[in-house]
Amino acid sequence: MSATDKTEALLEWPAKYNEVPKAVFEMDELWPKELETIFYGAEWHPIVHRAEIPNPGDYKAAELGEMPIFAVHGEDGAIRVFQNTCTHRGTSLVTESAGNKKEFECPYHRWLFNLEGDLIGCPNSRDFTPGFNKDNFALPQLRTEEFYGLFFVTMSDKTPPLKEYLGESFYEPLSRILGGDGRLKLIGYQKVLYDCNWKAYCDNDGYHAPLLHKAFALLNWQGGKGTQIVTENGHLAFQSELKMSDQVNALKDASIIDFKGTSTSTGSLVLMSFPLTVFSKHMDMLNVRYAFPKGPKGIEVHYAYFSHQDDDEEMVKHRIRQSSNLLGPCGLISMEDAAIFSRIDKGNKTPGNASFQKGVKDEYQLDLQVGQNDESGNLPRWEHYRKRMGFRRASS
Amino acid sequence: MSDVAANVISSIENLNRNYICALDSLSMQAWLDCFSRRGTYTFIAEENERRGFPIAFMLDDCYERLQDRVTQVDEIQDDSTEHYTTRHFTQLTSIVPLGENTFHANYNFSIYYTQKDNNQTKILCVGRYQDIIAIDQETALFVQRKAVTDTNVLPRYIAYPV
Repeated sequence: MSATDKTEALLEWPAKYNEVPKAVFEMDELWPKELETIFYGAEWHPIVHRAEIPNPGDYKAAELGEMPIFAVHGEDGAIRVFQNTCTHRGTSLVTESAGNKKEFECPYHRWLFNLEGDLIGCPNSRDFTPGFNKDNFALPQLRTEEFYGLFFVTMSDKTPPLKEYLGESFYEPLSRILGGDGRLKLIGYQKVLYDCNWKAYCDNDGYHAPLLHKAFALLNWQGGKGTQIVTENGHLAFQSELKMSDQVNALKDASIIDFKGTSTSTGSLVLMSFPLTVFSKHMDMLNVRYAFPKGPKGIEVHYAYFSHQDDDEEMVKHRIRQSSNLLGPCGLISMEDAAIFSRIDKGNKTPGNASFQKGVKDEYQLDLQVGQNDESGNLPRWEHYRKRMGFRRASS
Repeated sequence: MSDVAANVISSIENLNRNYICALDSLSMQAWLDCFSRRGTYTFIAEENERRGFPIAFMLDDCYERLQDRVTQVDEIQDDSTEHYTTRHFTQLTSIVPLGENTFHANYNFSIYYTQKDNNQTKILCVGRYQDIIAIDQETALFVQRKAVTDTNVLPRYIAYPV
Protein backbone atom coordinates (compact mmCIF):
# COMPACT_ATOMS: atom_id res chain seq x y z
CA MET A 1 0.00 0.00 0.00
CA SER A 2 1.49 3.39 -0.98
CA ALA A 3 1.71 6.37 1.41
CA THR A 4 -1.16 8.04 -0.42
CA ASP A 5 -3.32 4.95 -0.10
CA LYS A 6 -2.53 4.79 3.60
CA THR A 7 -3.63 8.40 4.09
CA GLU A 8 -6.80 7.86 2.10
CA ALA A 9 -7.58 4.93 4.33
CA LEU A 10 -7.24 7.05 7.48
CA LEU A 11 -10.27 9.13 6.81
CA GLU A 12 -13.23 9.26 4.46
CA TRP A 13 -14.56 12.75 3.84
CA PRO A 14 -18.34 13.26 4.15
CA ALA A 15 -20.37 13.50 0.96
CA LYS A 16 -21.75 16.88 1.95
CA TYR A 17 -19.45 19.83 1.26
CA ASN A 18 -20.60 21.61 4.42
CA GLU A 19 -19.41 18.83 6.72
CA VAL A 20 -15.92 18.32 8.10
CA PRO A 21 -15.00 15.20 10.07
CA LYS A 22 -14.12 16.18 13.63
CA ALA A 23 -11.40 13.54 13.57
CA VAL A 24 -9.39 15.73 11.23
CA PHE A 25 -8.49 17.91 14.21
CA GLU A 26 -7.53 15.01 16.42
CA MET A 27 -5.69 12.39 14.35
CA ASP A 28 -1.96 12.65 14.99
CA GLU A 29 -1.37 10.29 12.05
CA LEU A 30 -2.29 13.06 9.59
CA TRP A 31 0.67 15.24 10.53
CA PRO A 32 3.38 13.54 8.40
CA LYS A 33 1.18 13.80 5.32
CA GLU A 34 0.33 17.45 6.14
CA LEU A 35 4.04 18.19 6.34
CA GLU A 36 4.68 16.53 2.98
CA THR A 37 1.77 17.93 0.99
CA ILE A 38 1.13 21.31 2.63
CA PHE A 39 4.09 22.66 4.57
CA TYR A 40 6.72 21.17 2.24
CA GLY A 41 4.36 21.14 -0.74
CA ALA A 42 3.26 23.62 -3.37
CA GLU A 43 2.14 26.42 -1.04
CA TRP A 44 3.69 29.80 -0.16
CA HIS A 45 4.39 30.62 3.49
CA PRO A 46 5.17 34.16 4.71
CA ILE A 47 8.24 34.21 6.93
CA VAL A 48 9.50 37.75 7.41
CA HIS A 49 8.91 41.36 6.44
CA ARG A 50 11.88 43.50 5.51
CA ALA A 51 10.92 45.79 8.40
CA GLU A 52 11.77 42.98 10.83
CA ILE A 53 15.34 42.69 9.54
CA PRO A 54 16.03 46.17 8.13
CA ASN A 55 19.85 46.19 8.30
CA PRO A 56 22.60 44.02 6.80
CA GLY A 57 23.32 41.14 9.16
CA ASP A 58 19.86 41.20 10.75
CA TYR A 59 18.34 37.76 10.91
CA LYS A 60 15.12 36.14 12.11
CA ALA A 61 14.63 32.47 12.93
CA ALA A 62 11.43 30.65 12.01
CA GLU A 63 10.08 27.22 11.15
CA LEU A 64 8.52 25.73 8.08
CA GLY A 65 6.64 22.66 9.23
CA GLU A 66 9.24 21.01 11.44
CA MET A 67 12.19 22.45 9.56
CA PRO A 68 14.17 25.25 11.24
CA ILE A 69 14.95 28.11 8.88
CA PHE A 70 16.21 31.67 9.15
CA ALA A 71 15.95 34.80 7.07
CA VAL A 72 18.99 37.05 6.65
CA HIS A 73 19.47 40.57 5.32
CA GLY A 74 22.62 40.32 3.18
CA GLU A 75 25.38 42.85 2.64
CA ASP A 76 23.96 43.27 -0.87
CA GLY A 77 20.53 44.26 0.53
CA ALA A 78 18.90 41.01 -0.58
CA ILE A 79 16.91 38.94 1.88
CA ARG A 80 17.49 35.21 1.70
CA VAL A 81 15.97 32.35 3.64
CA PHE A 82 18.16 29.38 4.57
CA GLN A 83 17.70 26.08 6.29
CA ASN A 84 19.08 26.52 9.79
CA THR A 85 21.73 23.85 9.56
CA CYS A 86 25.47 23.69 9.04
CA THR A 87 26.20 21.93 5.74
CA HIS A 88 28.88 19.86 7.47
CA ARG A 89 27.24 17.80 10.20
CA GLY A 90 23.87 19.50 10.54
CA THR A 91 24.36 21.60 13.67
CA SER A 92 21.87 24.48 13.92
CA LEU A 93 23.55 27.79 13.15
CA VAL A 94 21.12 30.23 14.72
CA THR A 95 19.87 29.75 18.27
CA GLU A 96 18.25 33.14 19.04
CA SER A 97 14.87 34.19 17.63
CA ALA A 98 16.48 37.26 16.05
CA GLY A 99 19.72 39.21 16.06
CA ASN A 100 22.52 40.66 13.97
CA LYS A 101 25.66 38.87 12.83
CA LYS A 102 28.52 39.62 10.44
CA GLU A 103 28.69 35.94 9.52
CA PHE A 104 27.37 32.63 10.77
CA GLU A 105 29.84 30.32 12.45
CA CYS A 106 29.09 26.76 13.44
CA PRO A 107 30.62 26.23 16.89
CA TYR A 108 31.22 22.51 16.35
CA HIS A 109 34.04 22.62 13.76
CA ARG A 110 34.09 26.38 13.06
CA TRP A 111 32.71 26.23 9.56
CA LEU A 112 31.97 29.80 8.59
CA PHE A 113 29.24 31.18 6.29
CA ASN A 114 28.79 34.73 5.05
CA LEU A 115 25.45 36.57 5.01
CA GLU A 116 24.82 35.31 1.50
CA GLY A 117 25.12 31.70 2.67
CA ASP A 118 28.48 30.93 1.06
CA LEU A 119 30.89 28.69 2.94
CA ILE A 120 33.93 30.93 3.46
CA GLY A 121 35.93 28.94 5.99
CA CYS A 122 36.38 25.33 7.12
CA PRO A 123 39.45 24.45 9.23
CA ASN A 124 41.83 21.68 8.09
CA SER A 125 40.20 21.32 4.69
CA ARG A 126 43.43 19.92 3.22
CA ASP A 127 42.47 16.67 4.97
CA PHE A 128 38.96 16.59 3.46
CA THR A 129 37.80 14.28 0.69
CA PRO A 130 39.79 14.67 -2.56
CA GLY A 131 36.95 16.30 -4.45
CA PHE A 132 35.89 18.69 -1.68
CA ASN A 133 34.74 22.04 -3.01
CA LYS A 134 33.42 24.81 -0.75
CA ASP A 135 31.03 25.90 -3.49
CA ASN A 136 29.10 22.68 -2.94
CA PHE A 137 28.58 23.44 0.74
CA ALA A 138 26.68 26.74 0.71
CA LEU A 139 23.68 26.96 3.03
CA PRO A 140 20.58 25.40 1.47
CA GLN A 141 18.41 28.30 0.33
CA LEU A 142 14.65 28.22 0.01
CA ARG A 143 12.76 29.52 -2.99
CA THR A 144 11.59 33.00 -2.05
CA GLU A 145 9.27 35.68 -3.43
CA GLU A 146 8.61 39.16 -2.08
CA PHE A 147 5.37 41.12 -1.95
CA TYR A 148 5.51 44.68 -0.57
CA GLY A 149 8.46 43.74 1.62
CA LEU A 150 6.92 40.50 2.87
CA PHE A 151 8.94 37.40 1.99
CA PHE A 152 7.23 34.10 1.28
CA VAL A 153 9.00 30.75 0.96
CA THR A 154 8.08 27.45 -0.61
CA MET A 155 9.79 24.07 -0.72
CA SER A 156 8.32 23.18 -4.08
CA ASP A 157 9.42 24.29 -7.53
CA LYS A 158 5.85 23.57 -8.68
CA THR A 159 4.27 26.35 -6.61
CA PRO A 160 2.90 29.02 -9.01
CA PRO A 161 4.38 32.53 -8.90
CA LEU A 162 3.28 34.30 -5.72
CA LYS A 163 0.85 36.83 -7.21
CA GLU A 164 -0.80 34.13 -9.28
CA TYR A 165 -1.00 31.90 -6.21
CA LEU A 166 -2.61 34.61 -4.04
CA GLY A 167 -4.88 36.05 -6.72
CA GLU A 168 -5.82 39.72 -7.09
CA SER A 169 -8.72 39.45 -4.62
CA PHE A 170 -6.13 38.63 -1.97
CA TYR A 171 -3.00 40.51 -2.88
CA GLU A 172 -4.73 43.85 -3.46
CA PRO A 173 -6.04 44.12 0.13
CA LEU A 174 -2.79 42.57 1.38
CA SER A 175 -0.92 45.50 -0.17
CA ARG A 176 -3.03 47.84 1.97
CA ILE A 177 -2.31 45.87 5.14
CA LEU A 178 1.35 46.26 4.24
CA GLY A 179 0.96 50.02 4.33
CA GLY A 180 0.16 50.54 0.64
CA ASP A 181 3.83 50.55 -0.31
CA GLY A 182 5.50 48.07 2.05
CA ARG A 183 7.41 50.85 3.88
CA LEU A 184 6.71 49.53 7.35
CA LYS A 185 8.47 49.76 10.67
CA LEU A 186 8.33 46.94 13.20
CA ILE A 187 6.93 48.01 16.59
CA GLY A 188 6.98 44.60 18.30
CA TYR A 189 5.63 41.12 18.77
CA GLN A 190 3.17 39.21 20.88
CA LYS A 191 3.87 35.47 20.96
CA VAL A 192 1.67 32.73 22.33
CA LEU A 193 1.08 28.99 22.18
CA TYR A 194 -2.51 28.01 21.50
CA ASP A 195 -3.64 24.62 22.70
CA CYS A 196 -5.19 23.28 19.52
CA ASN A 197 -4.49 21.58 16.23
CA TRP A 198 -3.32 24.06 13.59
CA LYS A 199 -6.50 23.57 11.55
CA ALA A 200 -8.68 24.67 14.47
CA TYR A 201 -6.64 27.87 14.65
CA CYS A 202 -7.30 28.74 11.02
CA ASP A 203 -10.96 27.73 10.87
CA ASN A 204 -12.24 31.09 12.12
CA ASP A 205 -15.15 32.36 10.02
CA GLY A 206 -17.25 35.34 9.10
CA TYR A 207 -20.31 34.17 11.01
CA HIS A 208 -18.90 34.34 14.51
CA ALA A 209 -17.66 37.91 14.75
CA PRO A 210 -20.78 39.80 15.90
CA LEU A 211 -21.91 36.81 17.98
CA LEU A 212 -18.77 35.75 19.86
CA HIS A 213 -17.22 39.13 20.38
CA LYS A 214 -19.07 40.89 23.15
CA ALA A 215 -16.84 43.88 22.63
CA PHE A 216 -18.39 44.44 19.20
CA ALA A 217 -21.80 44.99 20.75
CA LEU A 218 -20.48 47.09 23.62
CA LEU A 219 -18.59 49.30 21.22
CA ASN A 220 -21.57 49.53 18.80
CA TRP A 221 -19.55 48.05 15.96
CA GLN A 222 -22.23 45.88 14.47
CA GLY A 223 -23.83 46.48 11.11
CA GLY A 224 -20.93 47.61 8.95
CA LYS A 225 -21.16 46.59 5.31
CA GLY A 226 -18.52 44.40 3.77
CA THR A 227 -17.49 41.50 1.59
CA GLN A 228 -15.89 38.12 1.90
CA ILE A 229 -14.00 36.83 -1.12
CA VAL A 230 -12.71 33.29 -1.23
CA THR A 231 -10.44 31.56 -3.72
CA GLU A 232 -10.46 28.00 -4.93
CA ASN A 233 -7.06 27.36 -3.31
CA GLY A 234 -8.28 28.35 0.12
CA HIS A 235 -7.50 32.03 0.66
CA LEU A 236 -10.05 34.33 2.30
CA ALA A 237 -10.32 38.11 2.24
CA PHE A 238 -12.75 40.00 4.47
CA GLN A 239 -13.20 43.71 3.86
CA SER A 240 -15.56 45.56 6.17
CA GLU A 241 -16.68 49.07 6.73
CA LEU A 242 -15.91 50.35 10.20
CA LYS A 243 -19.16 51.61 11.56
CA MET A 244 -17.92 53.79 14.37
CA SER A 245 -20.29 55.00 17.03
CA ASP A 246 -20.28 58.63 18.12
CA GLN A 247 -20.59 57.59 21.73
CA VAL A 248 -19.08 54.57 23.44
CA ASN A 249 -20.29 54.26 27.00
CA ALA A 250 -18.60 50.95 27.74
CA LEU A 251 -15.11 52.45 27.94
CA LYS A 252 -13.74 55.27 30.08
CA ASP A 253 -10.99 55.82 27.51
CA ALA A 254 -12.61 55.51 24.09
CA SER A 255 -9.51 56.91 22.37
CA ILE A 256 -8.24 53.34 22.24
CA ILE A 257 -10.74 52.62 19.47
CA ASP A 258 -10.28 55.83 17.49
CA PHE A 259 -9.85 55.32 13.78
CA LYS A 260 -7.32 57.80 12.44
CA GLY A 261 -7.26 56.48 8.88
CA THR A 262 -8.65 58.49 6.03
CA SER A 263 -11.70 56.41 5.20
CA THR A 264 -13.89 54.00 7.10
CA SER A 265 -14.96 52.17 3.94
CA THR A 266 -12.18 49.64 4.29
CA GLY A 267 -11.34 50.19 7.91
CA SER A 268 -11.25 46.48 8.59
CA LEU A 269 -9.31 43.99 6.49
CA VAL A 270 -8.78 40.42 7.60
CA LEU A 271 -7.04 38.01 5.25
CA MET A 272 -6.24 34.35 5.71
CA SER A 273 -3.84 32.72 3.29
CA PHE A 274 -3.75 28.95 3.04
CA PRO A 275 -2.74 27.17 5.08
CA LEU A 276 -2.65 29.27 8.24
CA THR A 277 -1.47 32.87 8.10
CA VAL A 278 -3.71 35.77 9.11
CA PHE A 279 -3.07 39.36 8.06
CA SER A 280 -5.17 42.19 9.44
CA LYS A 281 -5.65 45.92 9.34
CA HIS A 282 -8.29 46.58 11.90
CA MET A 283 -8.71 50.29 12.57
CA ASP A 284 -5.10 51.47 12.68
CA MET A 285 -3.41 48.18 13.56
CA LEU A 286 -1.17 46.62 10.89
CA ASN A 287 -0.64 43.00 11.84
CA VAL A 288 0.85 39.81 10.39
CA ARG A 289 0.25 36.64 12.40
CA TYR A 290 2.98 34.16 11.59
CA ALA A 291 1.90 30.72 12.77
CA PHE A 292 4.02 27.65 13.47
CA PRO A 293 2.36 24.31 14.21
CA LYS A 294 4.08 22.33 16.94
CA GLY A 295 3.26 18.99 15.41
CA PRO A 296 -0.36 17.83 15.42
CA LYS A 297 -1.06 19.53 18.76
CA GLY A 298 -0.36 23.15 19.59
CA ILE A 299 0.34 26.14 17.42
CA GLU A 300 2.68 29.00 18.18
CA VAL A 301 1.44 32.33 16.85
CA HIS A 302 3.69 35.36 16.52
CA TYR A 303 1.66 38.54 16.14
CA ALA A 304 3.97 41.07 14.44
CA TYR A 305 2.82 44.70 14.55
CA PHE A 306 3.93 47.51 12.31
CA SER A 307 3.71 51.25 11.91
CA HIS A 308 4.32 53.06 8.63
CA GLN A 309 7.55 54.90 7.98
CA ASP A 310 5.61 58.11 7.29
CA ASP A 311 3.65 58.03 10.55
CA ASP A 312 4.11 60.99 12.86
CA GLU A 313 4.83 60.42 16.54
CA GLU A 314 1.18 60.67 17.53
CA MET A 315 0.12 58.04 14.99
CA VAL A 316 2.84 55.63 16.13
CA LYS A 317 1.75 56.06 19.73
CA HIS A 318 -1.85 55.43 18.71
CA ARG A 319 -0.93 52.25 16.83
CA ILE A 320 1.03 51.01 19.84
CA ARG A 321 -1.84 51.65 22.28
CA GLN A 322 -4.40 50.07 19.98
CA SER A 323 -2.30 47.04 19.04
CA SER A 324 -1.28 46.35 22.64
CA ASN A 325 -4.82 46.33 23.94
CA LEU A 326 -7.18 45.14 21.22
CA LEU A 327 -5.45 42.24 19.42
CA GLY A 328 -3.26 39.34 20.44
CA PRO A 329 -3.52 36.77 23.21
CA CYS A 330 -4.74 39.30 25.80
CA GLY A 331 -6.62 41.71 23.53
CA LEU A 332 -10.09 43.08 24.08
CA ILE A 333 -11.21 41.79 20.68
CA SER A 334 -9.18 38.75 19.78
CA MET A 335 -8.73 37.01 23.11
CA GLU A 336 -12.19 35.56 22.61
CA ASP A 337 -10.98 33.93 19.39
CA ALA A 338 -8.11 32.37 21.33
CA ALA A 339 -10.57 30.87 23.77
CA ILE A 340 -12.56 29.33 20.93
CA PHE A 341 -9.50 27.73 19.25
CA SER A 342 -8.91 25.71 22.38
CA ARG A 343 -12.58 24.92 22.95
CA ILE A 344 -13.02 23.72 19.35
CA ASP A 345 -10.14 21.37 19.89
CA LYS A 346 -11.59 19.96 23.09
CA GLY A 347 -15.11 19.60 21.70
CA ASN A 348 -13.96 17.87 18.56
CA LYS A 349 -12.77 14.85 20.51
CA THR A 350 -16.36 13.68 20.05
CA PRO A 351 -17.46 11.59 17.07
CA GLY A 352 -19.16 12.85 13.94
CA ASN A 353 -18.85 15.83 11.68
CA ALA A 354 -18.68 19.57 12.24
CA SER A 355 -21.51 21.15 10.31
CA PHE A 356 -21.27 24.49 8.50
CA GLN A 357 -24.64 26.16 7.92
CA LYS A 358 -24.48 29.92 7.50
CA GLY A 359 -24.38 30.75 3.80
CA VAL A 360 -24.65 27.17 2.52
CA LYS A 361 -27.18 27.03 -0.32
CA ASP A 362 -26.52 23.51 -1.54
CA GLU A 363 -24.82 20.94 0.68
CA TYR A 364 -23.58 19.03 -2.37
CA GLN A 365 -22.01 21.96 -4.22
CA LEU A 366 -18.98 24.05 -3.43
CA ASP A 367 -19.91 27.71 -3.77
CA LEU A 368 -17.31 30.46 -4.03
CA GLN A 369 -19.96 33.18 -3.73
CA VAL A 370 -20.27 33.97 -0.03
CA GLY A 371 -21.56 36.85 2.05
CA GLN A 372 -19.63 38.89 4.58
CA ASN A 373 -20.94 37.03 7.61
CA ASP A 374 -21.14 33.53 6.10
CA GLU A 375 -19.18 30.61 7.47
CA SER A 376 -19.38 28.89 4.08
CA GLY A 377 -16.28 30.86 3.08
CA ASN A 378 -14.22 28.26 4.96
CA LEU A 379 -15.45 25.39 2.80
CA PRO A 380 -13.15 26.04 -0.20
CA ARG A 381 -10.24 25.90 2.28
CA TRP A 382 -11.42 22.55 3.53
CA GLU A 383 -11.88 21.28 -0.01
CA HIS A 384 -8.36 22.41 -0.91
CA TYR A 385 -7.07 20.66 2.23
CA ARG A 386 -8.99 17.47 1.39
CA LYS A 387 -7.54 17.37 -2.10
CA ARG A 388 -4.00 18.05 -0.88
CA MET A 389 -4.37 15.19 1.61
CA GLY A 390 -5.92 12.85 -0.91
CA PHE A 391 -9.00 11.96 1.16
CA ARG A 392 -11.75 10.34 -0.83
CA ARG A 393 -15.14 12.04 -0.58
CA ALA A 394 -17.97 9.63 0.19
CA SER A 395 -20.57 9.23 -2.51
CA SER A 396 -23.87 10.99 -1.84
CA MET B 1 18.53 48.47 49.99
CA SER B 2 20.01 48.67 53.50
CA ASP B 3 19.72 52.48 53.48
CA VAL B 4 15.95 52.36 52.88
CA ALA B 5 13.87 52.92 56.02
CA ALA B 6 12.04 49.90 57.40
CA ASN B 7 8.66 51.63 57.21
CA VAL B 8 9.26 52.31 53.49
CA ILE B 9 10.06 48.66 52.83
CA SER B 10 7.01 47.67 54.81
CA SER B 11 4.74 50.01 52.84
CA ILE B 12 6.06 48.73 49.53
CA GLU B 13 5.75 45.10 50.59
CA ASN B 14 2.20 45.72 51.78
CA LEU B 15 1.30 47.20 48.42
CA ASN B 16 2.79 44.27 46.53
CA ARG B 17 0.97 41.85 48.85
CA ASN B 18 -2.33 43.64 48.23
CA TYR B 19 -1.66 43.46 44.50
CA ILE B 20 -0.93 39.76 44.25
CA CYS B 21 -3.75 38.87 46.65
CA ALA B 22 -6.14 40.92 44.50
CA LEU B 23 -5.14 38.95 41.40
CA ASP B 24 -5.08 35.57 43.10
CA SER B 25 -8.64 36.19 44.31
CA LEU B 26 -9.50 37.87 40.99
CA SER B 27 -10.81 40.98 42.66
CA MET B 28 -10.29 43.53 39.92
CA GLN B 29 -11.51 46.44 42.04
CA ALA B 30 -8.87 45.60 44.67
CA TRP B 31 -6.31 45.43 41.82
CA LEU B 32 -7.37 48.90 40.67
CA ASP B 33 -7.09 50.20 44.23
CA CYS B 34 -3.34 49.49 44.14
CA PHE B 35 -2.79 52.28 41.61
CA SER B 36 -2.62 56.02 42.11
CA ARG B 37 -4.75 58.29 39.91
CA ARG B 38 -1.68 58.80 37.71
CA GLY B 39 -0.93 55.07 37.71
CA THR B 40 -0.03 52.94 34.69
CA TYR B 41 0.20 49.20 34.11
CA THR B 42 2.21 47.42 31.40
CA PHE B 43 2.65 43.71 30.70
CA ILE B 44 5.35 43.30 28.08
CA ALA B 45 7.61 40.53 26.72
CA GLU B 46 11.28 40.71 27.67
CA GLU B 47 12.15 40.34 23.97
CA ASN B 48 10.30 43.56 23.10
CA GLU B 49 11.71 45.39 26.12
CA ARG B 50 15.28 44.35 25.30
CA ARG B 51 15.00 45.21 21.61
CA GLY B 52 13.27 48.54 22.23
CA PHE B 53 9.90 47.53 20.77
CA PRO B 54 6.98 49.17 22.60
CA ILE B 55 4.26 46.62 21.82
CA ALA B 56 2.92 45.08 25.04
CA PHE B 57 0.45 42.34 25.89
CA MET B 58 -1.42 44.89 28.01
CA LEU B 59 -0.80 48.63 28.01
CA ASP B 60 -2.85 50.70 30.42
CA ASP B 61 -1.13 54.06 30.19
CA CYS B 62 -3.67 56.15 32.11
CA TYR B 63 -6.09 55.62 34.96
CA GLU B 64 -9.06 55.35 32.59
CA ARG B 65 -7.36 52.44 30.85
CA LEU B 66 -6.90 50.76 34.23
CA GLN B 67 -10.63 51.19 34.82
CA ASP B 68 -11.33 49.73 31.38
CA ARG B 69 -9.13 46.72 32.23
CA VAL B 70 -11.52 46.03 35.11
CA THR B 71 -14.48 46.29 32.74
CA GLN B 72 -12.82 43.96 30.23
CA VAL B 73 -12.21 41.24 32.81
CA ASP B 74 -15.45 41.59 34.75
CA GLU B 75 -17.96 42.27 31.99
CA ILE B 76 -16.66 41.65 28.47
CA GLN B 77 -14.66 38.44 28.34
CA ASP B 78 -16.35 36.43 31.05
CA ASP B 79 -18.40 33.91 29.07
CA SER B 80 -15.87 32.77 26.47
CA THR B 81 -12.75 32.52 28.59
CA GLU B 82 -11.44 29.22 29.92
CA HIS B 83 -10.99 30.58 33.42
CA TYR B 84 -8.05 29.88 35.66
CA THR B 85 -6.82 30.85 39.09
CA THR B 86 -3.32 32.12 39.73
CA ARG B 87 -0.74 32.03 42.50
CA HIS B 88 1.78 34.85 42.32
CA PHE B 89 5.16 34.38 44.00
CA THR B 90 7.31 37.49 44.27
CA GLN B 91 10.66 38.48 45.67
CA LEU B 92 11.69 42.07 46.34
CA THR B 93 15.14 42.63 44.81
CA SER B 94 15.76 46.36 45.09
CA ILE B 95 14.40 49.71 46.23
CA VAL B 96 15.93 52.98 45.05
CA PRO B 97 14.65 56.34 46.39
CA LEU B 98 13.69 58.79 43.62
CA GLY B 99 12.89 61.72 45.97
CA GLU B 100 9.60 63.24 47.13
CA ASN B 101 8.45 59.98 48.74
CA THR B 102 8.72 58.14 45.44
CA PHE B 103 10.67 54.92 45.01
CA HIS B 104 11.77 52.63 42.24
CA ALA B 105 11.28 49.00 43.29
CA ASN B 106 12.07 45.75 41.50
CA TYR B 107 10.53 42.35 42.16
CA ASN B 108 11.03 38.98 40.55
CA PHE B 109 7.82 37.11 39.92
CA SER B 110 6.74 33.60 39.02
CA ILE B 111 3.10 32.85 38.43
CA TYR B 112 1.40 29.47 38.41
CA TYR B 113 -2.06 28.93 37.00
CA THR B 114 -4.62 26.23 37.56
CA GLN B 115 -7.12 25.91 34.75
CA LYS B 116 -10.62 25.33 36.00
CA ASP B 117 -11.69 22.84 33.34
CA ASN B 118 -8.89 20.33 33.99
CA ASN B 119 -7.46 21.37 37.38
CA GLN B 120 -3.92 21.08 36.09
CA THR B 121 -1.31 23.53 37.36
CA LYS B 122 1.39 24.96 35.10
CA ILE B 123 3.66 27.99 34.97
CA LEU B 124 1.96 30.99 33.40
CA CYS B 125 5.00 33.25 33.21
CA VAL B 126 8.18 34.29 34.97
CA GLY B 127 9.76 37.72 35.01
CA ARG B 128 10.25 40.94 36.90
CA TYR B 129 8.19 43.88 38.01
CA GLN B 130 9.70 47.33 37.50
CA ASP B 131 7.72 49.62 39.76
CA ILE B 132 7.52 53.28 40.61
CA ILE B 133 5.75 53.68 43.91
CA ALA B 134 4.54 56.80 45.71
CA ILE B 135 4.13 56.68 49.49
CA ASP B 136 1.79 59.05 51.27
CA GLN B 137 1.61 58.64 55.06
CA GLU B 138 2.79 55.05 54.85
CA THR B 139 0.23 54.14 52.19
CA ALA B 140 1.95 53.10 48.99
CA LEU B 141 0.40 53.16 45.52
CA PHE B 142 1.75 52.25 42.10
CA VAL B 143 2.57 55.12 39.80
CA GLN B 144 3.90 52.44 37.47
CA ARG B 145 3.78 48.67 37.58
CA LYS B 146 5.56 47.18 34.61
CA ALA B 147 5.60 43.38 34.37
CA VAL B 148 8.39 42.26 32.01
CA THR B 149 7.95 38.57 31.25
CA ASP B 150 10.91 36.34 30.40
CA THR B 151 8.30 33.94 29.04
CA ASN B 152 8.32 35.51 25.59
CA VAL B 153 5.96 32.88 24.21
CA LEU B 154 2.98 32.76 26.54
CA PRO B 155 1.74 29.21 27.24
CA ARG B 156 -1.87 30.29 26.67
CA TYR B 157 -3.87 33.48 26.18
CA ILE B 158 -3.84 35.53 29.35
CA ALA B 159 -7.17 36.82 30.53
CA TYR B 160 -6.20 38.83 33.60
CA PRO B 161 -3.33 41.17 34.49
CA VAL B 162 -0.30 39.56 36.08
